[in-house]
Amino acid sequence: MKQALIVFAKELSDGLRDRRTLLRILIPAVLMGPLLLAALSSLIASFEERAERREIMAVGMANAPTLKNFIERQTYTIKDAPADYEARLRATTLLEPVLVVPADFEAKLLAGEAPTVEVVGDSANQRASGGIGAIKGLLWGFNNERAALNLAMRGVSVELLKPIDIEERDLASVQARATRITSIIPMFIIMAVLYGALTAALDSTAGERERGSLEPLLMNPAPHGAIVAGKWGAVALLGMAVALLASISFVPAQWLLKSDSLQAMFQFGMQEVLAFWLLQIPLAAGLSGLLMALAIRSKTFKEAQAGSTLVITAVSLAPMVTLLNPGGDAPWYLWVPGLAQNTLMLAVLKGEGLRWAQVMPSVVVGVVLTVATLYYVARSMRAAVAR
Amino acid sequence: MIEIQDVHKQFVAATGGGLFKRGKKRVVHAVQGVTVTAADGRITGLLGANGAGKTTTLRMLAGLFAPDRGHIACDGIVVKDAPLKALARMGILGDAHGLYPRLSARENIAYFGRLHGMDPDAANARADELARLLEMQAILDRRAEGFSQGERMKTALARALVHDPANIVLDEPTNGLDVLATRALREALRWLKSPEGGGKCIVFSTHIMQEVEQLCDEVVVVSHGRSVAHGSVPALLELAGEQRFEDAFVKLAFPQEVAA
Repeated sequence: MKQALIVFAKELSDGLRDRRTLLRILIPAVLMGPLLLAALSSLIASFEERAERREIMAVGMANAPTLKNFIERQTYTIKDAPADYEARLRATTLLEPVLVVPADFEAKLLAGEAPTVEVVGDSANQRASGGIGAIKGLLWGFNNERAALNLAMRGVSVELLKPIDIEERDLASVQARATRITSIIPMFIIMAVLYGALTAALDSTAGERERGSLEPLLMNPAPHGAIVAGKWGAVALLGMAVALLASISFVPAQWLLKSDSLQAMFQFGMQEVLAFWLLQIPLAAGLSGLLMALAIRSKTFKEAQAGSTLVITAVSLAPMVTLLNPGGDAPWYLWVPGLAQNTLMLAVLKGEGLRWAQVMPSVVVGVVLTVATLYYVARSMRAAVAR
Repeated sequence: MIEIQDVHKQFVAATGGGLFKRGKKRVVHAVQGVTVTAADGRITGLLGANGAGKTTTLRMLAGLFAPDRGHIACDGIVVKDAPLKALARMGILGDAHGLYPRLSARENIAYFGRLHGMDPDAANARADELARLLEMQAILDRRAEGFSQGERMKTALARALVHDPANIVLDEPTNGLDVLATRALREALRWLKSPEGGGKCIVFSTHIMQEVEQLCDEVVVVSHGRSVAHGSVPALLELAGEQRFEDAFVKLAFPQEVAA
């Protein structure tokens, strides 16, 4: 036990002295998430701003005084679209859809011939297509009003046009709505654990082998189990440290949020940071062991890096499973490292309380993975130097 | 006291092979009957050409792998049965002696001292003491990054000696050292075997005749994985009937080549 602590202390100070590597890990881990969150929030803010502005862009509105009157009664202002609106929509320099009114609109309308108006957007231009719904809504309103007037003049009840009433009821809590945007956060935390543990795991196994210091280390009268345990402790702690910094970095990120409503919905305080961090413990433990087990068989750092690519890809893509499987969370999610943490962190973000039964599987998997991989590393170490 | 009796070791090595074809396995008999008895207060040299099996023998002594056959003991402790106890009685400078580049020489030395069960102060004091013995005070508190070959070797040697072991095992310790450093090392080893230095049992392997002639009380000639002769330098000269030690070594180690 004492020897494990000695190895742990040495590995930790050795890892922390590697400033350049640490900095290169920390910069993406701490900055990337908040910056992406801020960028997404400014996109949402621009949507909200447009909704508040109540403006639509149109061509040939002078041909349709009736429609113009209706739109203005809905407190919208009408702007003239630029002449080259089609080209600009394609080039994504124009970010709003355009309503195109034909020259014979008014005449056809009076004759009851249903004139055709066009709503021009570009489905490759995300922001422009986002505004199409609003214009369509206005046009449906106009249709309804005309139809209601026509029926009323003929003495038919307007109710006939509405055999059913539609009302929307949103079940999502305020926080749950915000998770649509903030669901990217857990992915960054998981990556932070991975990157924090990765270099330390490789350096303490394959790196040690490459520089020829593993053989002298094993010539000390210390049980291999103690050496491995000490190394693993340092690796897991570094992973946890980077994860903590990454989750704390989302706290100031809230102040960067441009959208007021998003800011109100996104609650990320110290309590969430702590919950996130505690949830990472089984992942950091298991992953550190796994990375060390993969690396101990490699003769060089480079070889070990190639070997760990599979783990990195698998763990970082795990959150994607939730996107590809929209049928809701399956129970087995909680048993897969990475995916389990993602699911649990999303629950925390939604403001749901975690039940012990939800957390238990990931803890069990973490413990089993740690014990199995460390046993393997301890056994392989001698074989590694004997070759 | 180190006893190595008739040890054997064979490895399976892959041959070249092609792009899609794996190389055939080939059995390499690295060691096939080496016997070394090294007494306390004496320097015993393992002399042999490259690939004679010196390093493999010493690695078995260090417990890195078990011999296929034979008996290895250090101060009566059988290495195979109680490797940790045997290791505690040996200071080994092996073929691989990498340092931790981000730790200073002192930290490198003290780390191993701590793993040998010394407390931090004792390990530190011992580092100072060894730095004096090996004339490396100037680099003691520098990080090992950027050490010269000789500085690295000295640090590794100090690291192996940190727990003041009764038995010292060195695998080609003068590799890459210049004349002055070699001399300093020789002096240090002579002192360590003397009664004031602790009367250590020192085993070291080399392929350099000069070192053996100047330093060793006892020489074991190893050739093709076998120990073919042992005795003091004059005894070996007499055995071979030669004046120069180099001629004696060649005659003893490679009788077929000499006859041809």
